Amino acid sequence: MRTNGSTRAALRISLASLRAHRRRFAGTFTAVLLGVAFLAGTLVMGDTLRASFDSMFGSATSGTDAVVRSDSVITTADDAMGTRRPLRTDSVLRAVEQVPGVAAAEPGVQGAGQLVGSDGEPVGGQGPPTLAGNWMQDDQLNPYELAEGRAPRAHGEVVVNRGAAESGGLKIGDTTTLRTPDPLQVKVVGLATFGGEDGMAQTTFTGMTRADAERYLMPERGMAASISVRAADGTSQEELARALDAALPGGIEAITGQEAAEENLDNLSGQFLTLFTSMLLVFSGIALLVAVFSIYNTFAIVVAQRARENALLRALGAARRQVLAATLTEAAAVGLAASVAGLGAGVGIAAGLQALFPAIGFPFPEGPLVVGAVSMLLPLGVGVLVCLGSALLPAVRAGRTAPLAALRETAAETARISRGRVSAGVLLGAGGLATAAFGAGAGDPSVPLTATGAVAVLAAFLVLGPAAAVFAVRALGGPVARLRGLTGALAQRNALRSPKRTAATATALMIGVAVVSLFTVFASSLKATMDETVARNFAGDVAVSTPGFGAGGSGLSPGLAPAVEKLPEVDTALGLGRGVARVEGSGRELTVADPARLPRVMNLGAVQGSLDGLGGDGLAVSADQAEDHGWQPGSTVELAFTDGQKQRFTVRAVYGTSELTGDYVITPEAWRPHRTQDSDSLLAVTFADGVSQGEGKAAVEQVAERYGSPEVQTRDAYAQSAAGGIDMMLTLVYALLALAVLIALLGIANTLTLALHERTRELGLLRSVGQTRGQLRSMVRWESVLVAAFGTVGGLGLGGFLGWALVKAADSRGTSVFTLPPLQLAVVALVGVAAGLAAGWRPARRAARLDVLRAIATE
Amino acid sequence: MTATVTGQPAAARVTDAVKVYGSGETEVRALDGVTIGFPAGRFTAIMGPSGSGKSTLMHCAAGLDTLTSGEAHIGGTELGALSDNRLTLLRRERVGFVFQAFNLLPTLTVAENITLPQDLAGSRPDPEWTDALIDVVGLRDRLRHRPAELSGGQQQRVAVARALAGRPDVVFADEPTGNLDSRSGEEVLGLLGSAVRRMDRTVVMVTHDPVAAAHADEVVFLADGRLAGRMAAPTAERVLDALKAYDRKEAGS
Repeated sequence: MRTNGSTRAALRISLASLRAHRRRFAGTFTAVLLGVAFLAGTLVMGDTLRASFDSMFGSATSGTDAVVRSDSVITTADDAMGTRRPLRTDSVLRAVEQVPGVAAAEPGVQGAGQLVGSDGEPVGGQGPPTLAGNWMQDDQLNPYELAEGRAPRAHGEVVVNRGAAESGGLKIGDTTTLRTPDPLQVKVVGLATFGGEDGMAQTTFTGMTRADAERYLMPERGMAASISVRAADGTSQEELARALDAALPGGIEAITGQEAAEENLDNLSGQFLTLFTSMLLVFSGIALLVAVFSIYNTFAIVVAQRARENALLRALGAARRQVLAATLTEAAAVGLAASVAGLGAGVGIAAGLQALFPAIGFPFPEGPLVVGAVSMLLPLGVGVLVCLGSALLPAVRAGRTAPLAALRETAAETARISRGRVSAGVLLGAGGLATAAFGAGAGDPSVPLTATGAVAVLAAFLVLGPAAAVFAVRALGGPVARLRGLTGALAQRNALRSPKRTAATATALMIGVAVVSLFTVFASSLKATMDETVARNFAGDVAVSTPGFGAGGSGLSPGLAPAVEKLPEVDTALGLGRGVARVEGSGRELTVADPARLPRVMNLGAVQGSLDGLGGDGLAVSADQAEDHGWQPGSTVELAFTDGQKQRFTVRAVYGTSELTGDYVITPEAWRPHRTQDSDSLLAVTFADGVSQGEGKAAVEQVAERYGSPEVQTRDAYAQSAAGGIDMMLTLVYALLALAVLIALLGIANTLTLALHERTRELGLLRSVGQTRGQLRSMVRWESVLVAAFGTVGGLGLGGFLGWALVKAADSRGTSVFTLPPLQLAVVALVGVAAGLAAGWRPARRAARLDVLRAIATE
Repeated sequence: MTATVTGQPAAARVTDAVKVYGSGETEVRALDGVTIGFPAGRFTAIMGPSGSGKSTLMHCAAGLDTLTSGEAHIGGTELGALSDNRLTLLRRERVGFVFQAFNLLPTLTVAENITLPQDLAGSRPDPEWTDALIDVVGLRDRLRHRPAELSGGQQQRVAVARALAGRPDVVFADEPTGNLDSRSGEEVLGLLGSAVRRMDRTVVMVTHDPVAAAHADEVVFLADGRLAGRMAAPTAERVLDALKAYDRKEAGS
């Protein structure tokens, strides 16, 4: 009963104080709201996407009850889907049809095929696969449905999924090129949908006759990737799969249609859904972390300002616990209200994205938003916990208020920085720097060691914050004071008043800026590394490259290299293909090229043994792999191919530089028996003596036109395209980080507002002895800019260091380049300072509007 | 009753000053038609019971507040016509202030506080004058100190120095001794007095303390927002008697 009463008292006090000081918590409220909204929006969007894809795949593949395929699949580190061995269609189909319970069965031929749009540009190929296959005759087995037109009947006729047709500007009756990768003239005769949608996400699909598909997508006729089976009435998917499994020869497996759909879905979501949502989650985490500092600061200041009020409560008999509870209750109330509002905003964000995505060409399937319990409860809990956690320290401090403080004039906060804090910070920082530098150092970088060091440095930044704030504001404020006279000096000293407060405010911005600079530095280093890799590895004059199958696109026609080499301007044109094999148990990518001619277009570094005459059983390997496996020229290695064959190869050469060439090189002759769809992934060309860059490139382009017009790139352009996706990724990252910077900005504005409130009388005095409104505004804005500049400089330093550590730690070969892009970092610095200016705007205006007399009279 | 300008021209004056706060039922007439001039080179004290309008009169005369009707002049400048900005500039160039408490900026040193108005104006303080002032207020050894390191009396002396630093037309002091013990109070009042007598400054002081008022050349009494009387060459006893008389009148009415 008593506890109940005292709790109620604490609740009453805190709610009354909340009502009285609503404005003080506006910043806290907004920070929590934004963080929670982002988190909830991410979760709802993830759930909705997943559910939409589920239903899309469900309806598309509902007619397929089982899928028969080879159980031989080789996955590599870069390609989790793997390369699966094709089936001999006729024999397997015959076996399948004899199994009881099978109502229909049809082979599915599948490979890569990239359409060229009406504007001559390839359709898709920027990530999602560009698929081609046979248009299945059985409507129920075919996951695609004919939406318009008719099925392909003759050679060269194709059905295209509607999404691909739209983005390529293709209509029924149009003729275009399909790169398989050999250019094939096709005529669009029909448009298809997948599960009611315009396509399977952004994947493009071209359906052709089975004869065409076998001819262009398979190594030889009569083969297929899998066989789709429909069950007779009364036979379940599981029964059918079991029966098929039992009847089929070894090496061939049957899975249920359900499993096949899930696998497809997993591949799709594994590729971008998971990546996308986890990236969003990381950014909402950063946003909430930034919010923590803003909230902590708000409560710390409010508690300090309320010291006399709390002391009075204590003097009147309030227990320490009650004062603490009152503050925490306040935090919980703000957190709860803001989180609930945030949930609403989060659902709004998800709905907005659902509407926005199709507009930018990303198919977000229609359908109701999936608002699950987890996507609501988790952000709600996180929001309230963040608020409570941030307010805990200030609340404990409030509870410790001595009753006597009511009678004293108390300073808002102690400004002193303890020596212990500085020593601890310096030790932590030095230790962290040393650990990270050692971990990232040349030789054998260690990611855990570097990470530990980086975390220690981060902690040191927090511990040293107040001391650093004093130092930084003195240094940065010097020029301001000289430039702006007394106004600048006042701004500087105000920023120095409570170093802890300044540090906590700036830390929020510092984290935002640090992450931005980390990504900036990392991306530019990655690009510089690519540049240097190409410079070091590529000995040719021009390159023709397309993304491989896994990354969309369909590679280059194998016919291109010989055609280019016939040009009089060209000395050597070498096509590099890609293959896979299992080497000592793990899947590896093979480079299929003539090793004897490789040194003419690639720098291979030091070569042991001979690259000539590798023949059908010779292998060239990189020095790294040779060292790992203990090989040297003369060693024998067994390679297992997707077709189930195993073959012993002799290592004939070991080469030093392998970033572009890859770790294993075999001859086309050795690869041919095991090949899948023929394609080259890179064509490297050197010109004959005396041929200019322009002439040579024009000549190669002319030939390339006949092979679907793949882009011919100079060395620089090739290096840039190799680093192509980085800029796009960076833009997205910046957009997401803008949220964290916005929250930090709110934090600065809020702290400033609270501090100005504290200094009301001072402002009144300044105004009465002759400070103009303009001078007052300028003083407040400069203070804000100084705090922001401190945060920005700290963030740049921290981000730069973390970027360096990341680049070095991830670089086991010692070939990475670390660069600090001056222009981009200058922009980041400018944005940080501008954020300070923006944050100071409103508080400055409000402070300038103060009534002078009332300000002087304020207690 | 009307105020007569005694000999000297007025450094500051108000004419038919009316100040009304609020409206309707909560309307308060803080000043109800006051006309008075504060002669240059004189030390004038304004007295009156709480709510008599003495602080309002000072604030309006000093350009910190605006009149509802009537005119206020500093020298030859009419304040009602000035924008907030012009008013601010006028305050920092031609008016000095000493408040009851919180006169100094805690982040500035004593020296910086003294020259604050000139620094805000971006003008160079007159070093001789500032120097002389520092000696008069006796704070030479405290120039680099922060206000928090000074006693209340020392702080008020700094405030007086600040108010005089720009050689303003008039210094307004609002209960400058209200927070001080009697000895420190005497020192501050002595300073204000010698500023008038030795440095030829003009001081207008609001106070409720007859002892403080006795330092002035003349005391002006306010009651209910109107001028109630004036007394030349005041002593503490006479001021106290006069105040009692006004109190009685008020109780009787």
